[in-house]
Amino acid sequence: MRTPIVQISLFLVLLGTTAARAHAFLDHANPLVGSTVAAAPQEVSLSFSQNLEASFSGVEVSDSAGARVDQGKAQISGGVMRVGLKSLSPGTYRVHWHVLAADTHKSEGSFVFHVGKP
Amino acid sequence: MIRLLRCLRAFAPGLLLLVLSNSNVFAHCFVGARFFPATLLIDDPCVADEMSIPTVDWFKTGTTPAGSEWDVSAEFDKRITEDLGFGISDVWSQIRTPGGPTMVGFGDLETTLQYQLLKDSSHETAMLLGLIVDWGGTGATNAGIGTPYSLLTPTYYFGQGLGQLPDSVGWARPLAITGQVGYQIPTTSYIVSQSVFVPQVLVYGASLQYSLPYLKSEVQDFQFPDFINHLIPLVEAQLFTPVANNFGNPATTTGTINPGVIYVGSYFQIGLEAMIPVNRTSGTGAGVLGQFHLYLDDMFPKTLGQPLIGGAATSSSKPL
Repeated sequence: MRTPIVQISLFLVLLGTTAARAHAFLDHANPLVGSTVAAAPQEVSLSFSQNLEASFSGVEVSDSAGARVDQGKAQISGGVMRVGLKSLSPGTYRVHWHVLAADTHKSEGSFVFHVGKP
Repeated sequence: MIRLLRCLRAFAPGLLLLVLSNSNVFAHCFVGARFFPATLLIDDPCVADEMSIPTVDWFKTGTTPAGSEWDVSAEFDKRITEDLGFGISDVWSQIRTPGGPTMVGFGDLETTLQYQLLKDSSHETAMLLGLIVDWGGTGATNAGIGTPYSLLTPTYYFGQGLGQLPDSVGWARPLAITGQVGYQIPTTSYIVSQSVFVPQVLVYGASLQYSLPYLKSEVQDFQFPDFINHLIPLVEAQLFTPVANNFGNPATTTGTINPGVIYVGSYFQIGLEAMIPVNRTSGTGAGVLGQFHLYLDDMFPKTLGQPLIGGAATSSSKPL
C-alpha cells in the first residue's frame, strides 16, 4: 500500500512544481477587473499565471465608443504585460488581452474598468 | 483497469508520433474567454487530451430492498486531429443486494469518437458530434454487469457561455450551460433466453455552471481567496428515457440530478457532486460522485498533449 501512496504523492508534487507550462490565466489586473478608480490610471498592468511569448501577446484598451486609448505596443516581461494609456476622462474602458503562454497555449479575455466617482 | 492499460499500451506506436508534432492550440475546453470544465456526469463539448482517473461513485440502488453500488471508472481521451478525438473508458462495479448475490466486475468497454463542429470564441459557443459505442461481451456479462450486445449512441453536445450578456447583468455572465442529447440503439432488440425486449433509449442531460474564475478575470475581481477563485459550482443532470422497442418493460425515465463543485487547477481538476435520484427507480436517497481529472495538454504540451496528426503552427497566431 505504501508504494502507491508514495507514487501518488510524487505525482502530485510533480503537478505542483511544473507550474510554468500551462494555460496563462489572468491572475491580477491593475486597475482591478470591474473596478471604479477615482483618478485616471496611466497604464494597465496584467499579471498572468504563466510566462508569455511577447511576439504573440498583446492588449488593447478602448473607450465606450470603441476608440483606442492605449499608447500602442505592450511591454512584456515574464508573466506581466503593461501598456501605457492616453489621458483618460471619466467613463468606462474595456481592456482586451490576448496571450500566448510559453508552452504555446493561447488564452484571451476582456474586462472593463471605470474612471470617475464610485 | 487492466483492460484499459492494455489498450493504452496498444496506443504506444501512435503516441510516439506525438513527439514529432508541434501545434499552437487552446486545447481543453477553452472557447474564447470561457473555460468549460470536464463535467462529471455528462461530457464537455470539446475534443481534448485528458484523462479521468479515477471517477468514483456510490449510491443505493432503486431495488427493493435497496442495495448499494460502487463504481470506479477510468477514461482516456486523445485528439487525433485538432477537431477529431477518440476516447476509451471502462468501469468496475460492485453491487451488493441484501439477501442476494454480490455482483462484481467490469462493465463493457466504451469508446467514443467525437468531431468538433464549432468553437465560436466571440459567442462562447461550442458544438460537438459523437458516437459512443459500448462493446457488448467485453464486460462481466455473467455477473450481470456487462451485456452480450453492443450499444450505439450517436450524441450531440453543446456548450454556451453567457458572457455576451450586458454589463448591467454582469453577475450572470459567469453562467454557462452545457448539454448532450443521444439516441442509444442496441445491436439486439430481443434477448431470447430472458424473453425481454431491449429498448432504444433517449439519453440526455445538461449542466448549469457558475465560473468563479470567469467572474474574477472577466466581470469583477472581488479579491476572494485564491481557492475560491478556482471553483465552479454547478448542477448536472442526466436522464434515460426508453422510447422504442420497450414492450413489457416499465417506460420510466431514470437518472440523477447532481449539485456539486469543481476545483480547477492548472493541470488538473477535482470534482465532487451529490447524486440525487429523480425517482425511486433511479436510486434510494442521495449518493456521491467524485473525480480526479488531468489536463494532458497542459501537462505534456509538446508530446502527449498534441493531436496525433497536424495542428496549427505557432506562426499562424496573429498578435494584437
